[in-house]
Amino acid sequence: MSRLSVRGLTKHYGGIAALSGAGFEIDAPGIYGLIGPNGAGKTTLFDILSGSVPPDRGQVLLDGRDVTGFAAHRMARLGMARTFQECRILPEETCLENVLFAAQQKGMRATLVQLASRSQAARRAKQDEAMRLLALVRLEAYAHAPAEALSFGQRRLLEIVSTFIGVPDVLLLDEPASGVNPALLVTLSEFIRTMYAERPRVFMVVEHNMEFIMSLAGDIIVMHQGAVLERGTPEAVQASRLVIEAYLG
Amino acid sequence: MARIAPWLALLVLLTALYAMPHFAAGQPYVLHLLILSMLYAIPAVGLNLMLGYVGLVSLGHMAFAGFGAYVAAVLMVDVKIGFWSALALATLASGAAGAAIGVVCLRFRSHFFMIVTLAFGLMLYSVMNNWDSVTRGAAGFAGIPRPAPIAIGGESFPFGPLDHFYLLVLSAAVLVFALQRLVVHSDFGRILAAIRQDERLARARGVNALLYKTAVFALGSAIAGFGGVLQVSFLRVAAPASFSLAESINMVLIVIVGGAGTLSGPALGALLFVGLPEYLRAAQEWRLVVFGVLLVAITLFAPRGLAGVAAGLWRRISSRRAQAAS
Repeated sequence: MSRLSVRGLTKHYGGIAALSGAGFEIDAPGIYGLIGPNGAGKTTLFDILSGSVPPDRGQVLLDGRDVTGFAAHRMARLGMARTFQECRILPEETCLENVLFAAQQKGMRATLVQLASRSQAARRAKQDEAMRLLALVRLEAYAHAPAEALSFGQRRLLEIVSTFIGVPDVLLLDEPASGVNPALLVTLSEFIRTMYAERPRVFMVVEHNMEFIMSLAGDIIVMHQGAVLERGTPEAVQASRLVIEAYLG
Repeated sequence: MARIAPWLALLVLLTALYAMPHFAAGQPYVLHLLILSMLYAIPAVGLNLMLGYVGLVSLGHMAFAGFGAYVAAVLMVDVKIGFWSALALATLASGAAGAAIGVVCLRFRSHFFMIVTLAFGLMLYSVMNNWDSVTRGAAGFAGIPRPAPIAIGGESFPFGPLDHFYLLVLSAAVLVFALQRLVVHSDFGRILAAIRQDERLARARGVNALLYKTAVFALGSAIAGFGGVLQVSFLRVAAPASFSLAESINMVLIVIVGGAGTLSGPALGALLFVGLPEYLRAAQEWRLVVFGVLLVAITLFAPRGLAGVAAGLWRRISSRRAQAAS
């Protein structure tokens, strides 16, 4: 049974087809690259997988369970975590608070129990892990600084780190390298590899930085015009005539 | 030291407030003003949780205070149940009404949400104003009792006298502000703040935003209803005008001028709102003009309101003291 199964996804915005029958199977943990020219439908695919928008047609199965059209918060609780291309953080909170927020329980019942008991045990238990993750991307010095004080590249790292602490099973990273300077890029690469080594899961990475994604991912899915055009190892994909034609137009 | 100082200041403030009837024994006017301020501050806490912490600007907040007030009035005068049970039931009823109406309003965003809350506020107001057989209509619902005397250490403690009612309202305000702090500093409060800062991110992290917004709408409305019951018990009459659109807008002004999203904002805003026109001896009509100008000034120069200004002063004083010490 596939971990993640995407079947015939179609999505139209007005008259524009963002996705037209995109599908693939992911059977094992791994770092998967999702590439394609602008407008290929990568972000729309992420939006559907994470429950931001429902598809017009098609199916999403997580561990064999049909989760098509589930709302974003339900997908998140089923273990699907994502970052956003435009980078989203809680600007008024400190970096540590950002990570702890990602780690905290979101269900109403758990939240009300915490409100009544005023227990800080769960937060304290996550604090060390949060600091460890921040240190891995060299943000530990900013742990108690408001997130809005960070540079764009650092915000990106903070968003990614926050996404990893919830122990999700499927991680969707939307252009993690964009806006991150070359020095931080190495840190980011190492961080993703470290996270994968600690607990192999399904990482899907949308990326335009070819050097970054080809060195990180073992399996590349190429999208073009709302469908999957090619899939294979970085070497095979880079040699594919179809892919070269799609990119060169 | 720095962590104890605010608690110490709070302790001094509370002691002073509880000792006030003693100092102001010959000055019922001062107690009267403080009671009125607290009667505004209590519903303002409810709106602050919605507006300040989640960013929900409701233009119908006082209608929920009215809902609670009229439910309690009917329960006490017509059904003849006691004040305390009526207070509890009316608070719960306001919360339920808030949840039911909130779930409709929250389908809309930003200014559409404001318009829908305004519409519901006007609807509730016109029910209060026109349903003569139940609410006694525009003339107001007279004859609302003060709470029955309670026994403290074998002695009877009636709520008729002003200084006694003051202690009741003060305790109610302390309770509501403590509840506000409890909520804000909890996981629940952190989820509310996250929804305000980035709702899409909060959803992607597993937050059912509509559920939480409905919950805070219900909580805010329950607090408003709680305050409304105290208000009509103080005035001994429930009048629709106390719960009109103008009063709901006053609530928004109080919260923003006091400092939306701060714990002390509702108290500071209400104190200024009630105290300023009295102090200036200006006509009531000037209050809105002064508040309008203040609102513009605060939006421009002090986005955290009076509470933000006060916090800035506090920081400056304590850092100067720290410098002097070293």
